[in-house]
Parts: sequence; structure tokens; C-alpha cells
Amino acid sequence: MSEVRLPAEPRTEFGKGGARRTRRAGKIPAVIYGHGADPRHVSLPAREFANAIRHGGLNVLLTLDLEGDEQLAIPKAIQRHAIKGIYEHVDLLAVRRGEKVTIEVPLRVVGEVVSGGLLAQENTSVSVEAEATHLPTEIEVSIDGLQIGTQVTAGDLKLPGGSSLAGDPEQVLLIIQEAPTAEQLEAETAGVAEELGIVEEKPAEVASTETENAQ
Amino acid sequence: MLIPRKVKHRKQHHPSRSGAAKGGTQVSFGEYGIQALEPAYVTNRQIESARIAINRHIRRGGKVWINIYPDRPLTKKPAETRMGSGKGSPEWWIANVKPGRVLFELSFPNEAIARQALTRAIHKLPMKCRIVTREASEI
Repeated sequence: MSEVRLPAEPRTEFGKGGARRTRRAGKIPAVIYGHGADPRHVSLPAREFANAIRHGGLNVLLTLDLEGDEQLAIPKAIQRHAIKGIYEHVDLLAVRRGEKVTIEVPLRVVGEVVSGGLLAQENTSVSVEAEATHLPTEIEVSIDGLQIGTQVTAGDLKLPGGSSLAGDPEQVLLIIQEAPTAEQLEAETAGVAEELGIVEEKPAEVASTETENAQ
Repeated sequence: MLIPRKVKHRKQHHPSRSGAAKGGTQVSFGEYGIQALEPAYVTNRQIESARIAINRHIRRGGKVWINIYPDRPLTKKPAETRMGSGKGSPEWWIANVKPGRVLFELSFPNEAIARQALTRAIHKLPMKCRIVTREASEI
């Protein structure tokens, strides 16, 4: 995984007003903590940070230029606006080269579900321990050829080299279930549809013959 | 239809419509979701109608999650009644939805059909909504 270099400025204004002024200036309020040191409040350029996340994923390794010092960090928690999607605040975890860190790596499901099956994704990410400079961006899971009733657990994953599973290997990630039939769905909705007064649309041919018969 | 089994107070005040959703703003179970862009009271009939619209369109091979619950009663006074004489009788059950809330989620293998199904469901709802995906909400 590539490193992204970002300029970071120390933040002197705190609270709601200060944070809003920072965002209006095109920056994101952030905090860096880790290794038992005191937390440092910084601001990051919003556009560059969004690009780093878009291309490098949620576990992108950042090299922050902070008052002439270099600080390696990975995003720990990201707060986003629910509707606008802008980044509102970022928690950064300070890391060192060669240090092992535990991160949540997103799963990417590839392949087609077997006919008549339905994919139920119980977990979208898995906890992985890896070296800070070689963090996996995603883990692929293939569901090709998996039969109905099959479960994929964390222990079944093929992890990239240098990383190991940090969580429970018995944790269920994916289940191939039997898809509900059309009759089951219809039976479920039939009673309620009548109660709500929903009228099923008839095909044009049936409707026209009915009007002819009436005449 | 979704109705609470029992409530602490049969007649309640109108819930606040200001503010944005504090949680439930991301797609967590399925692959696609309907996100509210405006505040609204969504009745249990509207929720059921939207669910039926999705199920009828996808036919089979998908799963629907409803993330909201109509747990607040709204009352109404009968027509042509003078003011006073107490609060009206419970008429609707509503979910108080704030902007940003993901109302429905859907898991379906075909994206085009999933989007059509959710669009039909949006037409049954009383506010502006948009379709969101899990991938977009994560990154």
C-alpha cells in the first residue's frame, strides 16, 4: 500500500465554533494519538484527505508534515456528514515503521451466487493484524460454486502475506441462503395488500376485454 | 402492518421534526438502501406499501430490511367538532424520520432491478429520498 503525504497544521481553536471555522477554510479538524503520548490537535486539507481515502481505502497510511516533523498515522475513526458526505472529523492513530497494528479490513465479495441462492453478508469487514506500512486495503472472498447452506468464516479467508487474523476465526462472514420463492413473498404481502387497498395492475389485454364485455 | 404491542402512553405529543439523524445513516445489512433527505412522519401504512412495492418488483432472490419502526401514535379529532373536550383518538402510527436516516435496505444480485424496486418504494414515501449503496457509504 502506498503512503500519502499530507500537510498538517496544529490547531489552536477548539469547540463547535473553531471546528466550523476550520471546515469553512477547506480543512478537516483531526486529532493524532497513540504510543502513550499526549493527543495533538491538527487540521488536514479536506480535498487531499478525501482523495487519499478514495484511492487508498479507509486504512490508508498517511505521512503527515507537522511543523517540520514527519508523523506516520492511519485513520482510526472518521466522522462524515450523513447527507453531504463531507468529512467532519478524523481520529488518527500514530504508528511507527515495522509496528504491527490491528485494523478492520473491508471484504470484497466476488463471483455469482448459485441459482436459487441468496447471499447474506453477516459482516462487511474483518479484524486483521498487519505491519503498519503493509496494510491490506481489502480482502477478496469468492462465492463462486458455493452451495446453499454454506458459511464462510473468518478462518476461511486467504489473507495477504504478512498479515494475520486478529479476531475470532469462527466469526461467520457470509452465508449462502435459499432465496424465498415468489409464492412465499406473495403470501406474505397478500393479506396486507387487501387491508391497505392496493389493487394489482392488470395487463392491458385483460382490461380491454373486460370493458368490451361490459358494453 | 407494524403496530406496537403496547405503549406507555396512548396519546402522545407530536415528536420533534428538527435536526438530523444521529444513527442509522449508513447501509449496514443489505447492499442498497433508501436514505431520507427531509424530515417526515412515515406511517405504518406507507412503510408496508413501500415494502410490498419492493417485494413485488424483485419477485424472488432478494432480501428486504426495514430499519424504522412506527412507534409513535398520532391523534385526530373527528370532523366538524368544536375545539376542546380533550385530545382526539389515536389515528395513525408513525415513525419519526430525520434527514440522513436509512429507511429500507435491500440485498439483490442485479443492481438495475434493485434500483428500480427502491425507486418504486420511494414513490410510496412522504419525503424526498435517495438511493445509497454500501460501498459509497463506507468510503
